[in-house]
Amino acid sequence: MPICNNNLRLLVGLCFVGLYLLVGVPLWYNLTAVYRAPLPVEYIRSLHEQKFHDVHMVIPVYIKSIVYRFPDVHEAVQVQVNHLLNSRYQFVPWSLQVLPHSEMKGPESENHVISLVLDDFVGYSISYSSKETTVFFDDRSVISNDVPFFVAQTIIEHTFTLELEQLSSDFSRKHETTAISYNPNIHLSVSLLTGDGYPISWEIDSALKEYFTPLRKLLSPLVNFTVDTGITYYNDLNLHILNESQSVTEQDISHAIDLSELSSMNYFEEPVSLNLAIIFPSELTAPSGLQFINNNSTPEDYGNNWKSYVVPQWGVFVINKYPLQRDSKLTGSFLVPIMYQFANDLFQLLGLAKNSGDITHPGVTIDSFKRWTTLRNINKAEETLWSLVKLANSFEQMSIPHEVLTNTTAALDLRLDIIDLLNDPKKGGDLLWNQALALSNQLVKLSETAFFHSEMVQQNFFPQEHKIAVYLPLLGPSSVVIFFGFIKLMKERNQNAKAENEKEDKDSQKSEPSNSTEK
Amino acid sequence: MVGNLGIIQVTTWLLLVLLFPAIHANREIGNRDEVVDCSDFYSETRPTTNGSGLLRGNLTSSADVKQIGSDKNRIPSSNEDLVERSITSAAGTRYPYEENLTIRPLPNSHLLTSFSFHMKSQKFVPRQSSNDYNDYSHYTVFPKAFKPMLDRTSTRQLSLRFTRGYWDSESWGRLPHDGFRSGGSGVELWATIESRSKDDAFKQWKTLANSLSGIFCASINFIDNSRTTFPVNSFQPNDLESDGLPIFDHSKQLYLIRAALANEPICTENLTPFIKLLPTKGKSGISTLLDGHRVFDSLWHSLSIDINTRCNNSTDTCHYYAEVLIDTVINVPSVLARNERPIPKPVPSEQLRCDLSKPFDAFRCFPLPEQTEVQYSISQIFGKHIVGSNLISDEPSRVCVEVTDRWNAFVDVNGVFYATSDNCFDLRHSINQDIHLEATDSRSVAHLEEAPVYVSRSLTGYGQDRGGLRTVFNNPSLEPITLVYFESLPWFMRVYLSTMKLDIDDSGDQELTLQQVIKSMHYTPASDRSRPTHLEYTVIVPPKTSFSISYQFDKSLLLYAEYPPDANHGFEVESAVVTVLSPTKYQTRTATLLLLLSTPDFSMPYNVIILTSTIMGLIFGTMFNLVLKRLVTVKEADILQSRNKSKLKVFKERILTKLIDLRG
Repeated sequence: MPICNNNLRLLVGLCFVGLYLLVGVPLWYNLTAVYRAPLPVEYIRSLHEQKFHDVHMVIPVYIKSIVYRFPDVHEAVQVQVNHLLNSRYQFVPWSLQVLPHSEMKGPESENHVISLVLDDFVGYSISYSSKETTVFFDDRSVISNDVPFFVAQTIIEHTFTLELEQLSSDFSRKHETTAISYNPNIHLSVSLLTGDGYPISWEIDSALKEYFTPLRKLLSPLVNFTVDTGITYYNDLNLHILNESQSVTEQDISHAIDLSELSSMNYFEEPVSLNLAIIFPSELTAPSGLQFINNNSTPEDYGNNWKSYVVPQWGVFVINKYPLQRDSKLTGSFLVPIMYQFANDLFQLLGLAKNSGDITHPGVTIDSFKRWTTLRNINKAEETLWSLVKLANSFEQMSIPHEVLTNTTAALDLRLDIIDLLNDPKKGGDLLWNQALALSNQLVKLSETAFFHSEMVQQNFFPQEHKIAVYLPLLGPSSVVIFFGFIKLMKERNQNAKAENEKEDKDSQKSEPSNSTEK
Repeated sequence: MVGNLGIIQVTTWLLLVLLFPAIHANREIGNRDEVVDCSDFYSETRPTTNGSGLLRGNLTSSADVKQIGSDKNRIPSSNEDLVERSITSAAGTRYPYEENLTIRPLPNSHLLTSFSFHMKSQKFVPRQSSNDYNDYSHYTVFPKAFKPMLDRTSTRQLSLRFTRGYWDSESWGRLPHDGFRSGGSGVELWATIESRSKDDAFKQWKTLANSLSGIFCASINFIDNSRTTFPVNSFQPNDLESDGLPIFDHSKQLYLIRAALANEPICTENLTPFIKLLPTKGKSGISTLLDGHRVFDSLWHSLSIDINTRCNNSTDTCHYYAEVLIDTVINVPSVLARNERPIPKPVPSEQLRCDLSKPFDAFRCFPLPEQTEVQYSISQIFGKHIVGSNLISDEPSRVCVEVTDRWNAFVDVNGVFYATSDNCFDLRHSINQDIHLEATDSRSVAHLEEAPVYVSRSLTGYGQDRGGLRTVFNNPSLEPITLVYFESLPWFMRVYLSTMKLDIDDSGDQELTLQQVIKSMHYTPASDRSRPTHLEYTVIVPPKTSFSISYQFDKSLLLYAEYPPDANHGFEVESAVVTVLSPTKYQTRTATLLLLLSTPDFSMPYNVIILTSTIMGLIFGTMFNLVLKRLVTVKEADILQSRNKSKLKVFKERILTKLIDLRG
């Protein structure tokens, strides 16, 4: 009697195929898949598409009247300010919160204060170092109720001019050509170069202490400078090749000058550096001075025989016409005009001013620059995170470690903290803006740490082809065995079914004639 | 409406006035310094003329000085009309810089040239906080690149060596500077770092190594914990200086850390940063001679830099001192021959120097020994002239020639030769100068001090799983010698100290035991991939004795990915360092070793995958068949077989019957 185990065999075959497909393949795929942390892609995309949609920066301004008492002047100014700001397009929404002087918290020097002063004429003045704006008005303007408008116009168009200009358009698309990218720590290298080997000296320490230290203090909320100075002999930055030509354009100089030796010195910790190089030509190559520097000047005319050039994102170099004599000493009176010129150019190189000498009231400008830098940092961090998302999407086989996710989430949380600080109308003052700036620097750092993760960007991922190549020797034979076994089983089953059908047909045929005979 | 506002312009000059109050400071005008003319050239000179028509000096030591003034020597004084400017003249502006060159002929026509450069940094106050607005660092001659690096890593002393080649101490005597300024073949670095803990010190050390790697374009960044040791007795910074190193923060300690990269190639890209460190930048003084082609085309060369911190306790200020030394040994005839024939080709037959006392014809020539009457100049050796002196220091560049009285040394200034009694020449001004050497018998060289000890180390044994190390100490002197032997072995050499034994040659005292010879020992065993074997022992070598100390080790297998691309080349083992403590101070190093480890077949992993997969596939296939096979009785099988007679079988049977029919 035949053992009828066909169904059981089919069941076992099905179990194998089922195990292979339902357990084996998913298990293999999951165990060999690269880890990709789930990044908040949609949130970052929305940040990228709707920039600053959750920002509404509020700057408190305190109004104080010295002669007259206007109990409702702050409300009236607020109305005018709102009207003026609403009439313009704002890329980053911002507004001013005009408050009476009595509500001011913290010291006066740290807040924006508007002083109303009765005078014979109408006008304004912005303090040089503090954040005070004085608006002068006369009795006539009080009678015609023009004071709130004067005040509103002064503070928006003059005190907050940087905000008005910069926040009105998409600054993320503008690329700075001269200014270096913002960094809280900047190294400054002051070099004295001479084409000859004679010993020279300079009173640089006293010149820096007297003239650069105040600037360092002034800029300290924004940037910390580390400064070093050095004397380099036998190097005139290749300027001697220009000596023959009479008319030298700035373009010629930029082609001829060789800054490699000064730029290749990257021994300092700070990621960004600026340079001030004072160059004297060599006695051998330019005995009568460089022809292209102020051709009419004489050696006695010491104030006129140097010329300074700004190299975008590098610094400033000062070319002197005449070579230095043996044992020369550059005194303070030689260095001061150079330091002054450099200070002006420094504002430009830092991005504080567009042109040399634009800064008229650094106290207010630096304060505005802090806010603008904070916003730029937020934008930079958002862009970095967006690049991360794009990178993650375009390389589907790249691993995304968990650390990247941690850093991304921390950056996004920090971003919200900074925006809370900026949006809060109750707060203000130096402390807040400094804190926001410091946090935004941290934000940039966090987003860059997330992006430049060594396991991710070093192309250190496991390609899919490699995976198949390694596993094929195992998966190939076992798949072939399972599937061909199963197919064979199915074929056999069909054959059996066919055979049985035939058998049944034969049986029926056999039985039919017998039946007929019976009949 | 804007027009109604009387805008008060606050102009730029406000900034000027507030930030730069003293812009119109009085200008200072001083007197210019006189240009020193050539009249003080080479004070001790006596001219004579010889047949070649050159003005030469003989080497009398008489004190009476005769001036060889030559109008050609005068530098044109073009600076006469110095003008008054805010650039004043500060007479005597000199910087703490010194440079010397010592030339010393060695036996067998070899020549040792030693360049030394000394620099001192501006004074600085330790422990200064970095956010002081009045904190400015100034540099004059001390290289700018070092101070930030030393400050950041709290390094108080730093020594870096680039050495290549073989110093033949049996014929050349002691190493230059008693061996304290040259390293083993390759790159060697040690530093004393101030730190709170050993781990912190290692982190600072790693930063230091990475920074130096950038400065010197060398692979120093490959220094990791598997190559780093903390020496106990060797490399002590007090080896040379009696006063110890300063500690800026007394809650911290000093850690001495050392690592070496054996047989690391050294080439021009490492020399160029050395020259860039010098204030003269290779444009004046003796550094103009340094040319990569010549320095590295030598039998032995050593580039070293040492930086030390020295503090003045009374003023609480410190200075960094840097010493850069470059030593080379060249073979003079081969260098001169290369000058003549840049492309190597055989000497023409008429220029061959043959020994005529031996068979000599058109086909045979027994060469004579090297000519002993020689004359050459330094410009022929280095391919360049010396461009004057350095101008920035009080000390002019000085060249000294150490020779016997069979030699004459001259300085050549504008074709005029000068000599001095002590053979030392102070170079002046910015004109090309040259050193000329001539010898009646070049075999006679200045007294060479014999090396106090000869140490050599070699690998013993064969096979890929174990080996041995054998170090031979030979004391040729009549005094017992105390020395410290320092060895750092890679972790894949598993050393068995229990197998350490002493072998004495037949002439020595056979009673000597290992315990008598080794006085103290420091041993840190290796830890896989994280620490090398660190072995330091003090040995006393009795006079006129030679013995060897040997021990066995096992070779480990590395991980697949740990093998370098050229795994079959072998693994370099750094040299052992021998520091002689008494009777003299001397340091020498053994040669590096090349250790062969068993290297795997690198296609092995894939083969393993394929083999195991095949076996697993076979097992699985069998199991699968067993489980799925249809079980039938023999009777059923016969029925099935007859029913399922395959078509092929039928076809075969048919052909067979046809064949039988045909035969039939």
